[in-house]
Amino acid sequence: MLLALIAALPFAGAMMPALLRGAGRSGMTLGCAAATGLAFVLLMTQAPAVLAGAVVEARWVWLPALGLEAHFRLDGLALLFAGLILGMGLLVLLYARFYLSERDNAASFLGYLMLFQGAMLGIVISGNILMMLVFWEMTSLASFLLIGFWHHKPEARRGAMISLALTGAGGLALIAGLLMLGQIAGSSDLSVILAQRDVVQDSPLYLPMLLLILLGAFTKSAQVPFQFWLPQAMAAPTPVSAYLHSATMVKAGIFLLARLWPVLSGTPEWVALVTGFGLATMLLGAWLALFKDDLKALLAYSTVSQLGLITLLLGLGTTAAAVAAVFHIVNHALFKAALFMTAGIVDHAAHDRSIAGLGGLARLMPISFGVATLAVLSMAGVPPLAGFLSKEMLVEEAARTTFAGSGWVLAALVTLAAALSVGYSLRFLVAVFLGPKLWAAPPRDPGAGLLLAPALLALAGLAIGVAPMLLAGDLVSVAASAVTGDPVQAKIALWHGPNTALWLSVAAIGGGFVWLGLEPRLQRLPAAPDAANGFARGLRFLTDIAGRVTSAQSDRLAPMLGLLVLAAAGLGLLAFLTGQHLPGSTALVLPELAPTVVWTGLIAAVIAVPFVLHNRVLSVALMGLAGLVVALGFAYMAAPDLALTQISVEVVTILLLLLALGILPTISVRDVARPRLPQLCLAIVAGLGMTALAYAMLARGAAFEPISAFHIAQSVPGAGGTNAVNTIIVDFRSYDTYGEIIVLGIAALVIAALSEGLPRAPGPRVAHPIIFTSVSQLLFPFVLLVAVHMFLRGHNLPGGGFVAGLVVAIALLMQVMASGQDWTARRMRLNTTMLISAGVLTATGMGLWPMLTGRPFLSSNHGYVTLPGLAPFELATAMVFDLGVMLCVTGAVLLALSSITRLRGEAH
Amino acid sequence: MSHLIIAPVLLPAIIAALILLLPRLQRLLSVIGTAGLAAVSVQLLVTTSHRAPETYLLGNWPAPFGIVLQLDRLAALMLVLTAGLACAVLWHVVATRLDNRTRHFHALFQFQLMGLSGAYLTGDLFNLFVFFEVLLIASYGLMVHGGGAARLQAGLRYVAVNLAGSSLFLVALALIYAVTGTLNMADLAVKVADLPPGDQALIRTAAVLLMLVFALKGALVPLHLWLPGTYAQAPAAVAALFAVLTKVGAYAVLRTTTLIFPTDTPATGTLLMDILLPAALITLLLGALGALGAAGLPRVLAFAAIASMGTLFTAIAQATPQATSAALYYLIHSTLSGAALFLLSDRLQPRTGSAILFFATALAVAGLPPLSGFLGKLMILQASTAQAGLIWPVILIGSFLMLLAFARQGSNLFWTPVPDTDPEHATPLGPPALLLAAMVALTVGAGPVTDWLSVTARSLHGAP
Amino acid sequence: MEMLLASAIGVLTSVGVYLALMRTSFALILGLSLISYAVNLFLFAAGRLAPGFPPIIGGLTPMTDPLPQALVLTAIVISFGMTAVLVMLALGSYLLGGHDGVDEG
Repeated sequence: MLLALIAALPFAGAMMPALLRGAGRSGMTLGCAAATGLAFVLLMTQAPAVLAGAVVEARWVWLPALGLEAHFRLDGLALLFAGLILGMGLLVLLYARFYLSERDNAASFLGYLMLFQGAMLGIVISGNILMMLVFWEMTSLASFLLIGFWHHKPEARRGAMISLALTGAGGLALIAGLLMLGQIAGSSDLSVILAQRDVVQDSPLYLPMLLLILLGAFTKSAQVPFQFWLPQAMAAPTPVSAYLHSATMVKAGIFLLARLWPVLSGTPEWVALVTGFGLATMLLGAWLALFKDDLKALLAYSTVSQLGLITLLLGLGTTAAAVAAVFHIVNHALFKAALFMTAGIVDHAAHDRSIAGLGGLARLMPISFGVATLAVLSMAGVPPLAGFLSKEMLVEEAARTTFAGSGWVLAALVTLAAALSVGYSLRFLVAVFLGPKLWAAPPRDPGAGLLLAPALLALAGLAIGVAPMLLAGDLVSVAASAVTGDPVQAKIALWHGPNTALWLSVAAIGGGFVWLGLEPRLQRLPAAPDAANGFARGLRFLTDIAGRVTSAQSDRLAPMLGLLVLAAAGLGLLAFLTGQHLPGSTALVLPELAPTVVWTGLIAAVIAVPFVLHNRVLSVALMGLAGLVVALGFAYMAAPDLALTQISVEVVTILLLLLALGILPTISVRDVARPRLPQLCLAIVAGLGMTALAYAMLARGAAFEPISAFHIAQSVPGAGGTNAVNTIIVDFRSYDTYGEIIVLGIAALVIAALSEGLPRAPGPRVAHPIIFTSVSQLLFPFVLLVAVHMFLRGHNLPGGGFVAGLVVAIALLMQVMASGQDWTARRMRLNTTMLISAGVLTATGMGLWPMLTGRPFLSSNHGYVTLPGLAPFELATAMVFDLGVMLCVTGAVLLALSSITRLRGEAH
Repeated sequence: MSHLIIAPVLLPAIIAALILLLPRLQRLLSVIGTAGLAAVSVQLLVTTSHRAPETYLLGNWPAPFGIVLQLDRLAALMLVLTAGLACAVLWHVVATRLDNRTRHFHALFQFQLMGLSGAYLTGDLFNLFVFFEVLLIASYGLMVHGGGAARLQAGLRYVAVNLAGSSLFLVALALIYAVTGTLNMADLAVKVADLPPGDQALIRTAAVLLMLVFALKGALVPLHLWLPGTYAQAPAAVAALFAVLTKVGAYAVLRTTTLIFPTDTPATGTLLMDILLPAALITLLLGALGALGAAGLPRVLAFAAIASMGTLFTAIAQATPQATSAALYYLIHSTLSGAALFLLSDRLQPRTGSAILFFATALAVAGLPPLSGFLGKLMILQASTAQAGLIWPVILIGSFLMLLAFARQGSNLFWTPVPDTDPEHATPLGPPALLLAAMVALTVGAGPVTDWLSVTARSLHGAP
Repeated sequence: MEMLLASAIGVLTSVGVYLALMRTSFALILGLSLISYAVNLFLFAAGRLAPGFPPIIGGLTPMTDPLPQALVLTAIVISFGMTAVLVMLALGSYLLGGHDGVDEG
């Protein structure tokens, strides 16, 4: 329970700045510090148990299907890191309060910082590798926000992007690696995994998994070849550099290596990769640090080198190396953070961060000088500071290890790196504080606010160096135990007697002075290319390619349709050919003369259209002809209802197109363009495909009895009508029709809505010959009667609500066009909308009615009705539904067409 | 059987009809209708979680002769998701007064919901076509709402593409009816399983064409070209609602491939999934590349939507209960996150509140921790270990590209100095915050949610 | 007879696709309409041919399958609605945009 609280406190602290905005920077910082401080105190309450060797755990169920638990686990290693994160966090908060200027958005800064703190803490006390992944990515994100904090500076934006891209990519590799680890070990629970060393190392997936995990760790901890993001991150404010990019975030990769040490290390792959990359990083970082002019860049490369050092130790795989690694994690954090803070102080005071521009500050800023000296000596590995102790342990281990086939290679290289580190350390101190330099506006020591944190850190380095076992012994021991998996008792002492390590250390210190002396001459060597530029260029290249690929996918319609046709044809063919097809056994119907002639007419009309396309009225006429032939075809093929509907819809469609042509240009040159080859091919392919498919379908009989047998059998007894098609539409499958009339209604609404926003089309108003007006007025009642007749007989003979509705709509439209559209415009819109609504409500109502007696929606009834003087006739409630259909169809068609007619002519 | 099952279809229809009669009350009616729909959907979800799937015989005709509705967990899930999204979108619409720009917005909105509900609940393939048309035509109206030359042009293309798709749907339906003689989905499942070998080729063709129609709706490569232009031109709130329209395509694929054409059916076998998987992976990559390379935030979001559909279809293509459960979780997540980001992008101003929301929702869409997108992605990765060598790199590379894309967008929107454009009309933060809260709930409550989803997935695949 | 129907469907589809792929909205509308004729015929063909046996109870048996006819009826009406919207969009695009092309510019 307490562990969860510790984990949650920094996140709570992240909300403090928002809540305490009114209290100013001090108030907000105090709020955050309270959260961090409380977490630290709570952590300390758990410390005694952990230091005694226990592992404190707390777990809650989160996502069992994934093996993800909210599992917190505090062992020695976690305690060490957590203490570092929280303790350093407090100091950084103090420093930041005084570092940030008035113009900076302190609330955001503090918020991001606390967010990072929570995420980092989450990584180290996670007991479940999947939960660790969650926090891992969050640290990258928080780091992105913090590096880009001064976002008006292009280098800040650039640095943020580079670091996010790199650590993000590493994080994704880590996801794969940890998922694999979880699967090999059979669980995502860390305690379980740590006990599965043999299973994991014997697995055939060990190497790929290791590589992926190392990718994640190395990107985060800026190991070669991914070291270049860290110097770019120096665009962040100094508190960020001190906290994230020296003490905590960059140590996350190292933490991961240490955490998984018991289960991953010991294999030749591990030793070769981890030691090798660590060594390379240690050397490269130290070399580059020697030449940097910017203070923060020097420190950045130094950090890279020191991280390489720790990686190297973890790679060696021995208990003593593990102890050294753990110890150096602490020491490095102490001196590096102190040095970054000092650099920030110098920058603040002297407004210059470059080595060339600084010097002689020892007299002007004595306290800063003192603090810096302590930290620098620790970094250089000079006794009696703590840095000396851990570096000594490193050298000792190196001397004992056989690497690359030789017993002294490693020791030599390590000593070389150590010498370089002495070199750059001295360079820092000498260039900034020593030497003659005249200052026009002499910098001064800052107030206690800025100095307190680095001073404490530097003094801690001294104290630990003098009394290591007393101050750090237990912690290092339990941490190292957690790393190795076996209990370890560290023995750290200032003086081990004169041994190889001591001589090598002395040699290193001496060598450092040599490097310092050589440095001016070496400056003339050509500068190494900055990998960050290469990476940034790579990112830009990637974005370019992405841009080009994306703009190649244009918004043009032809490719969309063409790809659909192509996919349908291609995949359809594939599916057909890979399956069995047996032509049917039913006899084909032989064509007679009349249909064949009509067929010829259809083909001719249709094929003519593309050739006369520029004459649009003619094209529409041909279309009408085609539609007419189709209707004839339906009639011939025993589908009378279809023929009726097809003709009615055809008429309305042609009307619609002619109305449209009153606005669109009637002659268009663009349509005469030469056919494009893909267009032709696709058309032919589509046509052939459909023909073949249609023929295959027609020739083969059905495999099972169709459900329409029921419909035919039940048409009279169940639905009360002899027109089987109509009974299906208004009874058996009335729900389809319900949807269909709503589609029509929606179409009309869309058209009406669109027409309001459009300007009137220019052009003369169509003149209405008097004859047209009178004839249509005369015919109107007769047409209505026809419609009613069609409606009433629809249930038993071809007809029905649709056709009736269409007929009424056409008749009314004639009226409208005859008497002048604008006069009826508003009335028409209101009435038609109400008609549509009435139609929908009627149909819905008729459907709801049977629900009152417990039957489902749209259940129907029918019976015989006897009116005096007439023969008894059958009525079905489905006819009420058909009425709704008719009303809706009428309204919709009227609304749609009248909306379009209104577009023509000048407004009255 | 309870009549409540048809309420999600009838309620919006009646409300829409009333809106047409009483236009002055349209906002009120629409809000009441949407809230009512949400309540009904939740109730249906609760009842179906405790019972076996229910069938409702429309017209009181026995199956398979009439049309049936079927309510199972998947349908209920889609209903609740859609209704919840509709509430957030409606809030945004009212807050930004989008509905005043042209006539009939609320009627179209309600009809859109009706179409969606009808598609989820139907158990008949032709009826699915009809309700697809309902939801499509309503979406045409919503998409061009507000007018403007560019919008109408994009709308023209959107309509044309979908008309072509609908034609393809009819061809597939014709083949299916011609061979099996039925349109009822459950009946089809039985008949397809027992199909004589000589009819296989036609059914295979029909299945593939059907899949293409749904793939078009779900913006699967190579049928994804319509999406960027449409989403970029549609009003932002409408684009947010469209987040669920693509999911209808995924829903339909899931429904047909688990019910009618499962992988163990001799007629089609693994044909559909063999086509689906490579297409899904390519969609993921092209979508992620598009998010990185597109110009302007709306197009970036549109390509991000394509990428998420690719991820979703990758999971569906595995055709196992575990993968389907992960797919459903991801479906919920991607709908909420995509919609939230579209709502937020409507008149986005560089302010602290919108920055935080943008950061959080961009995280969600990119599938980064700690939100549900990350969990969903982990689940999909775990469910695809069988083909991990192919699928994992694609998903992870896609995630990398999305990360870059959103970092770039965030940097351009909030970090590059730009004058503050229009303080009064900034985007309302309430609706996206609501959706974000839903995602947080999805993350924290991932355990119970995935338990429920696994039962759903298992029952879809017919496993106990 | 089956060949007549199948080839008619094929020709309608061919010309329809050809027109739909052209650059003006007018050609697009014509093309999509032709395609819908083709598809309606295809859907109708699913019931197989039985000319002269209309699906009216009391008429000649075995009658044509009424179900595909009902489906086609629905499809015709729905296509009409869609076509009308398409025409409106083409008009609107022309009136606001000044050109009747399908793609911008």
